[in-house]
Amino acid sequence: MVLRIRLARFGNKHTPFYNIVVAQARSARGAKPLEVIGTYNPIPKKPTNLYDDNAHTRPYKEIALDRARAKYWLGVGAQPSDPVWKLMGMAGLVEPKPTTFHKA
Amino acid sequence: MAPRIQSRRVSNALLPYLTSSQASSTSSISSTCPSSQLFSRQFSATAAPQTKLRRQMFQWLSTEGAALKHHIPGETNYLSGRADRDGDSNEAPRPFPGNRTFISEAVLSEDLRNEVYVRVVEKKKSLRAVSVELGIDMKRIAAVVRLVEMERRQRAQGKPLALPYARAVHEMIPTTPLAQDGERQTFHEPINDLPAHPSTGAQIFYPVPESRSFTRVDAGRVFSGAPALEKAVADKISHPSDLVDDIIQNPNSIEWVGKGENARQVLQPADVRIPHPQLVKLELDRKAFPNERRAVTQRHAERVEKQEAAEQERRERAHARREKSIQHVEPEGSRFDYRIQDAKFTKETTGADGRAPWAPGRRYGVPAEDRKRGMVKIPTRVEA
Repeated sequence: MVLRIRLARFGNKHTPFYNIVVAQARSARGAKPLEVIGTYNPIPKKPTNLYDDNAHTRPYKEIALDRARAKYWLGVGAQPSDPVWKLMGMAGLVEPKPTTFHKA
Repeated sequence: MAPRIQSRRVSNALLPYLTSSQASSTSSISSTCPSSQLFSRQFSATAAPQTKLRRQMFQWLSTEGAALKHHIPGETNYLSGRADRDGDSNEAPRPFPGNRTFISEAVLSEDLRNEVYVRVVEKKKSLRAVSVELGIDMKRIAAVVRLVEMERRQRAQGKPLALPYARAVHEMIPTTPLAQDGERQTFHEPINDLPAHPSTGAQIFYPVPESRSFTRVDAGRVFSGAPALEKAVADKISHPSDLVDDIIQNPNSIEWVGKGENARQVLQPADVRIPHPQLVKLELDRKAFPNERRAVTQRHAERVEKQEAAEQERRERAHARREKSIQHVEPEGSRFDYRIQDAKFTKETTGADGRAPWAPGRRYGVPAEDRKRGMVKIPTRVEA
């Protein structure tokens, strides 16, 4: 059966929080996964401690990832889901997928 | 002149009987009452223009209270603790005489807070040095710098500031002024205070032979359940403040006791934990060498400098370590940046069953207790 690296949603209403998990592709989203390899907080945070107005103030999102485990699971054929592919692409673990749309 | 309550016509037919019966029941008291008004109103159906308390209030307002009607700018207008009226300026300013525990503490004056900002930001002095010079807690110094910074930014952006409000409040509450040239700065607050450590709350019966010396260092070890120091090591410590230098230089040298979740650092003596341990050394030196004031001051300055250098280096190392584990990604055309932190999901970090309370990420098979009674959900601290 296919192994997937995908997101498992936690958190309450309007406060999503995801574990990045390795699980059997056909198991439920909330089921216990094979392994947790990271977390993803999609709620953007404002950088604090900015005394300088010229500072770069784009809000940021936090990802935690165990690179060694991610590499191992990719090596044994686990397939990342699209959102996880995007995150792993940013971490430099997989080749980013080409966008299917063009930004204006 | 006391304003009077407007007397209203009484329309209730029953009231005359009620009032008369009331008057007859209180007639025995009225003989002791100095006021003849009550006596003369025995059979009156008209509402009393004033109650006793109200009369007393206006009497107070026209005598004692008259002095409080207009406040003197730059002075508190409290019932107690006024220097000019009572003559005892030593009394703590208490706005509510019935509440003895409420003391109106002084706040920083505008001049003083601006001086704090100038010394820290423009003269590049350390928080520690400014705290000792002006007698203000280090946390307050840091807060003042942040707030003044914010105020300056708002001024630069042309945002309105509540200046009349600030002026009015500062006129009415006690403030710590900034010393003029040649004056000694009045200290705003005690700066070397230490909250009681929770592990010192235990009542421990610990018999010690009379022949053995037992200091604050040993007491800390007893409280944290660590074995006693070896004699050779203990003999080297002549005063608990001897440990300060080593621990400031290398805080990781503090011993650990216990295993797993129970692991804790050995409780250090108060001499080490206070915010300004160097001031203890300074006082000891002053006592030991009363005639070498310059040398003592010099040595103190050196110690402070060394401490600051060590702290700065430690901060930089920690920052570098943190930065090293975080990858900043700024995707093109995205509204957000991403910070990818290295994490370790191993048996050590998640526990054998993967449910350790300190494990990274949300856990499976552990009920979320955030809706439980008494769980504090609001943030109780701000990471600076």
